[in-house]
Amino acid sequence: MNERLLLGRSIETGSWVHKLDARSKITGMLLYLAIILLSHSWAAMGLLAVFSVAVMLSTRIPLKYFIKSAKPLRFLMLFIFIVQMLSVKEGEAWLTLGSFSLYEGGLRLGAFSVIRMLFLVTFTSLLTFTTTPGKLNQGLEGILSPFKKLGLKPDRLTMMIGLALRFIPTILDESQIILKAQASRGADLKELPLKEKGRMLVSLLVPVITSAFRRAQDLVYSMEARGFRMDAPRTRYHRLRWGTADTLFVVMFIIMGVAVAVL
Amino acid sequence: MKETNIVNETGDAVISLEGVAFGYDPEHPILHNITLSVPRGQWVSIVGPNGCGKSTLVKLLNALLPKSAGEIVVCGQPLEEETIGSIRGSIGMVFQNPDNQFVGATVEEDILFGLEGLCLSYDEMDERLKLYTEKLGISHLLSKHPGELSGGQKQRVAIASILAMKPGIVIFDEASSMLDEGSRNELLVILQGMRDEGYTILMITHDADEILASDRVLALHGGSLAADLTPEELFRDQELLARCHLREPYPWQLARELQRLGIRTDVPASEKELIDTLWPYNYSK
Repeated sequence: MNERLLLGRSIETGSWVHKLDARSKITGMLLYLAIILLSHSWAAMGLLAVFSVAVMLSTRIPLKYFIKSAKPLRFLMLFIFIVQMLSVKEGEAWLTLGSFSLYEGGLRLGAFSVIRMLFLVTFTSLLTFTTTPGKLNQGLEGILSPFKKLGLKPDRLTMMIGLALRFIPTILDESQIILKAQASRGADLKELPLKEKGRMLVSLLVPVITSAFRRAQDLVYSMEARGFRMDAPRTRYHRLRWGTADTLFVVMFIIMGVAVAVL
Repeated sequence: MKETNIVNETGDAVISLEGVAFGYDPEHPILHNITLSVPRGQWVSIVGPNGCGKSTLVKLLNALLPKSAGEIVVCGQPLEEETIGSIRGSIGMVFQNPDNQFVGATVEEDILFGLEGLCLSYDEMDERLKLYTEKLGISHLLSKHPGELSGGQKQRVAIASILAMKPGIVIFDEASSMLDEGSRNELLVILQGMRDEGYTILMITHDADEILASDRVLALHGGSLAADLTPEELFRDQELLARCHLREPYPWQLARELQRLGIRTDVPASEKELIDTLWPYNYSK
């Protein structure tokens, strides 16, 4: 499958996680964020790893897709590891070069940060991999519905998220075409020095943004021509149904959170 | 200006325009004094050079753009703020770039987008979803992302999402211009099927085969209606063809060349008719 298409894409396998209500999956992911922050020991990290891999495998989606989702962040993870390693001066000094030392605490915290980030990105991909964008929006709308009393309009928010996810691959495709068009006229971004690359990015951004506005205008025409009006009532083809499996799914994360906090 | 009005009586007109004008700047109107009517079930081609106001004209019909002057009546309702919703329910629009009209992240979501807005029940939506995806041969693509579809498939999805809303009138705004030859032919077959089912079709096009398949042609030039005629009349009018930047259909071009070479051939309605005319020459040699 095309990597660009993985952005916000669901991969249908018909597993038990796919069948869950989107609201329970969103709740589970929020709890997972809390669990990650509560993990401070190698034992907790180990337990979290076993739990995460087990849940990911149970979706019947190949693990390589989850790993791929973390690939774009590899340099950020490396950066975080180096910063933590160099800035934390706790525990035993493992390596000393003159006045500079690497401490056990720094290495441990650096490793923890990277593992946390890796878990966070790979596991939360489970939400988008097992839920279609429409159902995800509906779930988000359901979770945010109590905030309607505070003046928030969840339907507008989810519409924006849905359209953004829908158009990311299209706009990425278009930027590739513009890059190739510029390369064909002798301005190959890959072969330019860093300073020139910066200048070239401007000449890439201008057509991409102009085209995004044009697409937005066309999309508005298409939506309005199909009778769309903001805040007008709509019915739903897919209805949210919270079942026992959803409750058990959320409880599973709560138990995991308690276990990790104890360890 | 040529006026060969085929249909100007508004007996069973589903669309009628009277003195319609539009312009962002009143000094430089894009469209001026457009008066026409379209009867139910007619397939109308709208032709003209780029920038003559074809797309603007069709966008006025369902208030995607607001008219500056004149009166528009669709299905008996004058186009006003209060009737926009109802008129948009009776006019469907298929645009040029199938990518930009895809609202949903999957084929299913895109077709349901319009149906959910109509506040239909689950059963009604389910029935229409199945019916129109099967009709357009896209029922196997329901879970597909637009990036996984060909241009022709995307345009089929766009048509299915419009037809599922059951509009009586469907407007195609250069819907075939980004399609390959095969997909164009598929679209032509779909259009012919729609005409048989009684849809009123307005089609902006530069394609000679599509024009020839339609019942009537409206030619726009410089923001006004330059001619209202049949496809055959259009293709016989070399001056108008040149002004609209159009070419004759291939059988017509071939017949004209044969006539030049002294082979007696009437201008055929189709390739088959041309072959039937030429076939006896095989035996006479």
